[in-house]
Amino acid sequence: MTSLAVQQQGLLDLIKGRTTNVSDPYLRDVAGCRELAMLREIAVWWRKVHVESQCRFTSRLLKRMRNFDSVVSAYFNENATSPFVEELALDFLRTLRDDPDPLVRAVSQFECALQSVRLGSADVFEVTWDRHPDLVIRALEQASEMPAAEVGCIYRMKVANDIPGLIACTRMLTRSATASACE
Amino acid sequence: MASATANPCIRSGVALATTYEGDDPVLLERIAPLVDAIEIAPDTIARSDSKQQHLRGEVLDEYSWLGPRFRFVAHGIGLSIGSHDSWNETYLRLLDELFSRFDLEWHSEHLAWTTCGGENSGTMFALPRTEEALDLICERVTRIQQRYGVPFLLEHVIQLLPDAPAQFTPAGFLNAITSRTGCGLIVDAYNLECDAHNQGLDIRAFLDGLDMAAVREVHIAGGVQYSGFQLDIHSRPARDTTLTLALEIVARAPNVRAVTYEFLKEAIAPLGHDAICAELARLRKAIQQ
Repeated sequence: MTSLAVQQQGLLDLIKGRTTNVSDPYLRDVAGCRELAMLREIAVWWRKVHVESQCRFTSRLLKRMRNFDSVVSAYFNENATSPFVEELALDFLRTLRDDPDPLVRAVSQFECALQSVRLGSADVFEVTWDRHPDLVIRALEQASEMPAAEVGCIYRMKVANDIPGLIACTRMLTRSATASACE
Repeated sequence: MASATANPCIRSGVALATTYEGDDPVLLERIAPLVDAIEIAPDTIARSDSKQQHLRGEVLDEYSWLGPRFRFVAHGIGLSIGSHDSWNETYLRLLDELFSRFDLEWHSEHLAWTTCGGENSGTMFALPRTEEALDLICERVTRIQQRYGVPFLLEHVIQLLPDAPAQFTPAGFLNAITSRTGCGLIVDAYNLECDAHNQGLDIRAFLDGLDMAAVREVHIAGGVQYSGFQLDIHSRPARDTTLTLALEIVARAPNVRAVTYEFLKEAIAPLGHDAICAELARLRKAIQQ
């Protein structure tokens, strides 16, 4: 009879898509069964529901890019997901910090900063955008066309509790020191 | 919201309860006159602020609006009572908070594990029916009974994965827990139907083998079929077959105190308030007959 410890660690590994102790006959049976695939699908589905409810803008952006499902699935596989949706959301957004797409980086870090500040963080968060953030958020809210990245400038956004309205943003030319506040 | 008056004709018999997870006061106002008790899942009304988890005050206030005559029971999701290493202390802190605010008639948890080595699996796994699992569960049930001093119930969960090698039958395992600890049981009619569909559980044999005197609560719900599986996702009114089964369990279990209709918060919008209220009225009528 397999011990509880071995069985539970094995099932955890299997649902997370990790390799496990396949020498155990029961775990070997489970590893190849369609029920496990169903259980995994349900677990990932719940993570998608929670991410979508908590990370509205990032979810919409990833859906536009047609990789929301795979990003959440990878997140579930590779991370210890919290049962608390607020922790899950922040952790999920943090994992996108190094995403190769600058727009995914900006939107996710903006949403992460906003949630952190609303949860009481005293930190100042900085987010760099390659296009006007207001236009990006509007495009995501209205499902309208996404503005293109702007050449020759960036937008530096600060998110903090002591900023009126929580957000301040400055447009900066990348080839000179000229800066102006976002309109 | 005005204080709700629980239906007096049910109070001495089998109460009707339902789930309410907050943030929909219009729904609460509509369901309050239809039920005697509310099932509170501490996990689902909790919030985590900077790694500090607590129950959401605004939801607790909603329950308070129902008035002192209303009854509450707690039904946990995240205790992970069957984890080989340790159960979830955070859940117990949330439960402590709930007990400090309301007089709970009883509380319950799923006979399952969700975390291993501190890592959340993202789902609920049934336990293998072994002596090792029995010892672990009984020791923890005893501790939890001592901690809260009100009845504690365990609910069997659906078994989606193939059955692990076992030393007990499904009913025999539950009987061993209740006889050793004195805890009660929740029998979920819909879970039994899921197990019958997915795993070929013989519901008759299960009920014939179960010590029905230990059953204190019956759960009823409706779900969906997906990819050939009957899923434990409480998103629909109960099927007639589920209701019939639930009533049979009530008739066979002399100590049942409540029938609880469960639905997910995420199912409220697609179900609609009218359908939820109609379902509660249907269940009320069925229980009273």
